[in-house]
Amino acid sequence: MNIATRQNGTSTVVDVKGDIDLYNSPEVRKVILEELKEKKTARVIVNLSGVRYIDSSGVASLVEGLKVSRTLASRFMLYGLSPAAREVLELSRLIRVFEVYASEEEALKAQ
Amino acid sequence: MEHAVKLNFPSDPRYLGVVRGAIERFASLAGFDEEDCRWITLAVHEALTNVIRHAYQNRHDQPVEMRLSERDGGIEVLMVDHGKGVKPEQMSGRDLEDVRPGGLGLHMIREIMDKAVYSPLEGRNELLLFKVKGSKPSVGE
Repeated sequence: MNIATRQNGTSTVVDVKGDIDLYNSPEVRKVILEELKEKKTARVIVNLSGVRYIDSSGVASLVEGLKVSRTLASRFMLYGLSPAAREVLELSRLIRVFEVYASEEEALKAQ
Repeated sequence: MEHAVKLNFPSDPRYLGVVRGAIERFASLAGFDEEDCRWITLAVHEALTNVIRHAYQNRHDQPVEMRLSERDGGIEVLMVDHGKGVKPEQMSGRDLEDVRPGGLGLHMIREIMDKAVYSPLEGRNELLLFKVKGSKPSVGE
């Protein structure tokens, strides 16, 4: 798995590529929480278009990001969900709690 | 001869991707469609991560045995570990309305598989998973 961040306007986009599982989800969690808690980024957008597989520990990292963002009154968004990632979020009944967009452009435009 | 594949590997999360690859391909060979192969792989993967995290308490050098079999029109997975067991009645998934990290794996296993039987035995724990072709998990949006 590779994870990198980049700025797009006032938002930070977190690009994740590869499988997110117990082996590497701590790294995903670390990057997301660093953006929200330490850098105080107002809008964090996670690009999952390169993620083929995500397990419950990966989902837990995203949920933690969401909860922290709510505490800090910042935004936490996802886009580019693969069928597998969408299925996992649906199975865990969490698809409704996230802001999910089809593309980065849509996420950036969201009010 | 029984149509089965046996895997022996250490409880190291580095190997999770390797094991997932084997499960997905075995399910495909057993005749499951692409979506079912993904579901089965996810359920077995979640069971394996529970072994690593709970039975072996994140020790990465402990033995895990897995047997994948074609049986009764479906796939059967037997996973054996030699770590800390729990009483089956203590295994409970969390309330999904409570949005918080963690506690999702058991829910996923139960939703996906038709049968999940956990047996803490003397010196070993066994988890038997079974899924028949055509059964779908209830995915709610």
